[in-house]
Amino acid sequence: MLVISLILFSKTRDLTKLKKYEEAFIEEQAKKHSEQNEFFPMVIHELRSPLSVISGAADLLIKTTGELSAEQIHTLLHQIKSSSSGLLKVVGDILDISKMEGGKFQISETYGDIRDVLREECGYFEPLAKIKNVTLSCPVSGKIPSFSFDSDRVKQVLNNLIANSIKFCPEKGKVVVNARKDARSVIVEVADDGVGIPDKDKPMIFHKFFQASNQAGVGEKGTGLGLAICKGIIEAHGGKIWMEDNKPSGVKFIFSLPIK
Amino acid sequence: MPKKILFVEDDEGFYNIFSVPLKMKGYDVIHVSDGSLAVEKVITEKPDLILLDIVLPGTSGLDILKELREREDTKEVKVVMLTNFGSDDNISKAMEYGSNDYLMKYNIVPSELPAKIAGLLGEAQESVVRVTES
Repeated sequence: MLVISLILFSKTRDLTKLKKYEEAFIEEQAKKHSEQNEFFPMVIHELRSPLSVISGAADLLIKTTGELSAEQIHTLLHQIKSSSSGLLKVVGDILDISKMEGGKFQISETYGDIRDVLREECGYFEPLAKIKNVTLSCPVSGKIPSFSFDSDRVKQVLNNLIANSIKFCPEKGKVVVNARKDARSVIVEVADDGVGIPDKDKPMIFHKFFQASNQAGVGEKGTGLGLAICKGIIEAHGGKIWMEDNKPSGVKFIFSLPIK
Repeated sequence: MPKKILFVEDDEGFYNIFSVPLKMKGYDVIHVSDGSLAVEKVITEKPDLILLDIVLPGTSGLDILKELREREDTKEVKVVMLTNFGSDDNISKAMEYGSNDYLMKYNIVPSELPAKIAGLLGEAQESVVRVTES
């Protein structure tokens, strides 16, 4: 009797475990299906948008020859160039996120000084900050040793963080990019005094496709992949990325890169 | 008095391209990139037609359309929805909320746009485009 009870107990426990695995599998499949349902419409929208513009500009250049001024022609050609670059970026983002999810994303580390990267990125964004009447500063000082990191990919992260900060800053706002050495890492901060991120959005901020709910009136939507890609890049380095409130307003995005 | 078109579109590139043939036709084109300001602009500007993108940051063209149709002072304004999605759901909602027409952004070229909206503006349907003969 005792043996039968023990066998029954063991089988019941196995069935319970099996049931739990089954539920977890179904939940994961449902989540993947839901992500695919979000992913494809987003991809279609983000590819079609610049393609509509490129095709439209070409149509005007072809069909209204002689009716456009030199300035209008220049604007249309500039728009083709700008939308083509945007399209290439979207395709690049989609490829990056696919590789990250497939475990195939790789970085290429070379020995360098991260302060050069920060100054270069700040210099690149200076004109945009001026147009928006935002003060962008990069007071990088202090001893930060050279170390191995993927310069292009770290630039990609900074591109995303600085662009977002400027985008969400009001006129006369400030964006500060800084770096310091920790015990075994370099810590980089991008801080702004903009609109901040609503509390309810904070847990989701590094999830792919996520867009903060307070984006009304601050420009085009984008893919919602930027911060997810930043996270993938920093984690591929063995580092971490997180967000803090910047008192009294705005946000601070911080990432660490281990010194190798 | 030229016809007035309110173009509610957050994609600056799309607006820059697709507003050209409308301006060449002589329409007064007013751009609104922030969807939250759209209804207010309709009230103050009283456009003859609105080109209204469905996907806008922080809001939805469908919600804007719904609000326009609920207000006494804007319920009659002509609205053409713009979308890159082409889902049956979006289109049927647009028509249900009272859109006069819809256009798939990926399926039109700028030179065709004046002809697409001429009927709603009470104008003869001729294209502004003159194809250059070789």
